[in-house]
Amino acid sequence: MKTIAGRIAFNLFAWTVVLVTAFPLIWMILTSVKPQFELFRIPPTFWPEQITFEHYVRLIYETPFLKYMRNSLILGFATTIVVVVVATLGAHSLVRFRYPGRERLAQMVLFTYLLPSVVLILPLYLMMVWLGIANTIFSLVIAYTTFALPYALWLLRSFMQGIPDDLEAAALVDGATRMEAFVDVILPQALPGIISTSLFTFILAWNEYLYALVLVNTDEARPLTTGVMSMLVSAFNIEWSLLMAASVMMSLPLIIIFAFLQTYLTRGFGAGGVKG
Amino acid sequence: MSGNPLDKRYAVLGAMLIAPTVLVFCAVIVYPLVSALYLSLFTIFTPTLRGSFVGLGNYAYLVNSPEFWRSLWNTLLWTICTLALQIVFGVAAALMLHQNIVFRSLARSLILFPYFVSTVVAVLVWRWLFNDLYGVMNHLMLMAGLIKMPLDWLGSMPNAMISIILVGAWKYFPFVVIAVLARLQTIPDALYEAAKIDGAGAWSRFVDITLPQLRDVLVVVVLLRAIWDFKEFDLIYLLTGGGPIIATQTLPLMVYKDAFGLNDMGRASAVAVSMMLVMLSFMVLYLKLAGRDERESQR
Repeated sequence: MKTIAGRIAFNLFAWTVVLVTAFPLIWMILTSVKPQFELFRIPPTFWPEQITFEHYVRLIYETPFLKYMRNSLILGFATTIVVVVVATLGAHSLVRFRYPGRERLAQMVLFTYLLPSVVLILPLYLMMVWLGIANTIFSLVIAYTTFALPYALWLLRSFMQGIPDDLEAAALVDGATRMEAFVDVILPQALPGIISTSLFTFILAWNEYLYALVLVNTDEARPLTTGVMSMLVSAFNIEWSLLMAASVMMSLPLIIIFAFLQTYLTRGFGAGGVKG
Repeated sequence: MSGNPLDKRYAVLGAMLIAPTVLVFCAVIVYPLVSALYLSLFTIFTPTLRGSFVGLGNYAYLVNSPEFWRSLWNTLLWTICTLALQIVFGVAAALMLHQNIVFRSLARSLILFPYFVSTVVAVLVWRWLFNDLYGVMNHLMLMAGLIKMPLDWLGSMPNAMISIILVGAWKYFPFVVIAVLARLQTIPDALYEAAKIDGAGAWSRFVDITLPQLRDVLVVVVLLRAIWDFKEFDLIYLLTGGGPIIATQTLPLMVYKDAFGLNDMGRASAVAVSMMLVMLSFMVLYLKLAGRDERESQR
């Protein structure tokens, strides 16, 4: 890579690879702004000859898309709040307190993080039916804790292990109780970790499909993932540009989070063992 | 530790803080897990949820069921192939993104995006790309002269299996990139400088320095991804639904089909439990490794 020509060649190669990888996503956006008839050109046009937002308008006014989106937002926020509150307390306990069974507990968290959903889903389905809360967003919040809680707990635990013990000890010497030290010293230190854990938990809930498929069967409670798929299945002839518009809208929150999250990207997702 | 009353009070406080976690765990994970084992001993008609005890009957049925073995084989084939591609492309992409290229952070974001996007979105896009009449894939391959007739990507074999493996690799290789990239940044430059002085070429620097440094992280990544690919449901279910017939049906799909298509929850539980037994070896191995790392980092 010493010569300038070599440098340029490498850059060209690298960016070709990047663009090929991102091509399906670029294609999704391009398709969503093409008029329906343009999709059936052979050969296909790359740049839209005519840019239109009619599919987005139709999506919002003529399909239950906004209802699904509302459900997904409620589901995402509710899951995130429940999980992050419980996990922050739990992680703090696992990191700063000593009691019998602590190590076992930490190991169990990691174990449950690896459990397949299909094993838990049948008993959970029976449980929801028995409790009479099947077909509600609430049932999905409960179901989502099965994967989101172990994940958040593990992630927060590794964040909190990075906070030096001395900080808490100093607060205790100054006469604070352990809870005061937790609120005044540990929480502000852990805030970046808590924020990125919240964002990742939200993404997990936003993208989940299997539980939503099994537990919810009405448009009233259906989130985006199963909702958009049902638009595909129920349509007589598949309107690809409408579906691509739905896909773009569904990915918007991720793009926003992505923009905020640049610095955390390499740290958070899929944690639970992979250490930098 | 036991004599000090303050320590005791702290232990109680610690237990109180972890209590909500333990409660939720018992309700939504431990209870369902035990319950799944229990259910697998019954035959249960899903719509009425009535059933009768059959002991190990469901398992005996599975051992003699060609469909079960076919699904297990499909699961292994899918896991091994897609995992291999993820690792190869993931390491290559990480090495590439580690270099100085223009707009590097944008390039990284674009590469990582498939991993963060919902499987539903990924599948919709790929089904549109794979469309037999107007799909771009067929068009590009016809243009390049690789095929003479448009291919049926998802509806015939072996195309369907190859398609899910490719889409799986595309969706999940960024995970490998994230892990490897993070590790690459911690390899000291001095190692490469020294090797250069000793006259090592680019290839031998990769084999003798980079790979050994990456070994630990790769072991962890392979185990984690093997576990996750093994239990993958969404991607395969949404792309092919297990078809044609059962040619791409993996174990998670069989669980779903038995429970909600064939309405036998007992047998579905038996499939799920068997699947977990296969996974258990990987999980135990991973837990051991993670535990070892932990003790090292605490030292």
